[in-house]
Amino acid sequence: MHPQLVLLMELQDLRAQKRALHQDSGETVGLEEEHFNLDRSRAVELLEEKIESLKDTLTPQLRTRYERIAPQRDRVVVPVIQGTCYGCFVSIPTATAGDQIGNTLVETCENCGSFLYIVE
Amino acid sequence: MKLRDLFRPETVKLELESEDKDDILKELVELLELDEKSEAILFKTLKRRENLGSTGIGKGIAIPHCRSLVVNELRLAYGRKSDGVAFDAIDEKEVRHFFLIVAPPLEVSNQYLPVLGKVAQFAKDPEVPGKLTELEDPAAFLDLLEAHGG
Repeated sequence: MHPQLVLLMELQDLRAQKRALHQDSGETVGLEEEHFNLDRSRAVELLEEKIESLKDTLTPQLRTRYERIAPQRDRVVVPVIQGTCYGCFVSIPTATAGDQIGNTLVETCENCGSFLYIVE
Repeated sequence: MKLRDLFRPETVKLELESEDKDDILKELVELLELDEKSEAILFKTLKRRENLGSTGIGKGIAIPHCRSLVVNELRLAYGRKSDGVAFDAIDEKEVRHFFLIVAPPLEVSNQYLPVLGKVAQFAKDPEVPGKLTELEDPAAFLDLLEAHGG
């Protein structure tokens, strides 16, 4: 797997954690506070710090693309399952899907711009 | 949806070998049989969740959990470490029972949170830690879940 794609996936996981905790009143927040005694505001702060430090490790080109996509959509990195981008549910060109086998490149969806990784 | 149906015998390990928190997380992740890179990403995500606050809920139980891109369906595993391991649990006691829960960022069935809640409720049943300690094989673990309505 491409090392920058690994970073993007880690970033996406952190964003998912932050999004779950950022909701003012959600089931996630309730569970985390009830069962795990999580300090939500501190947790969100820590996640934001980690997200920023991880972004610094992206190449300038990828960081620019990331920053362009991230404010617009919750999921910046999406799986491709059976040839379909799970960001926009549009089929990925066969050539792109073929190039991305093994996730050795950092590819984006031509339709929605999300970074892609192939689930084999 | 029953907890019993979400665990498989091969994702239940009654003799974890690791001796510290990080290695326990890695050993639990290995039970899911992902590729090497995915295992590494998932470990980091779980570790980052632990850094926000331990998932050790006390009475010898921990429920490491997260959403991660590396799985495309809800995955669960159970591991037991009879000697116990320091896990920064709420009650500062060693943890012997580990329930791993990993969900994709988006699920059609939206089971992650209900399952997390169910596992927490199951684990908090005062009788459960003792019964988990007595388990002799993975099938008995599944039977225990069934017996508790999960």
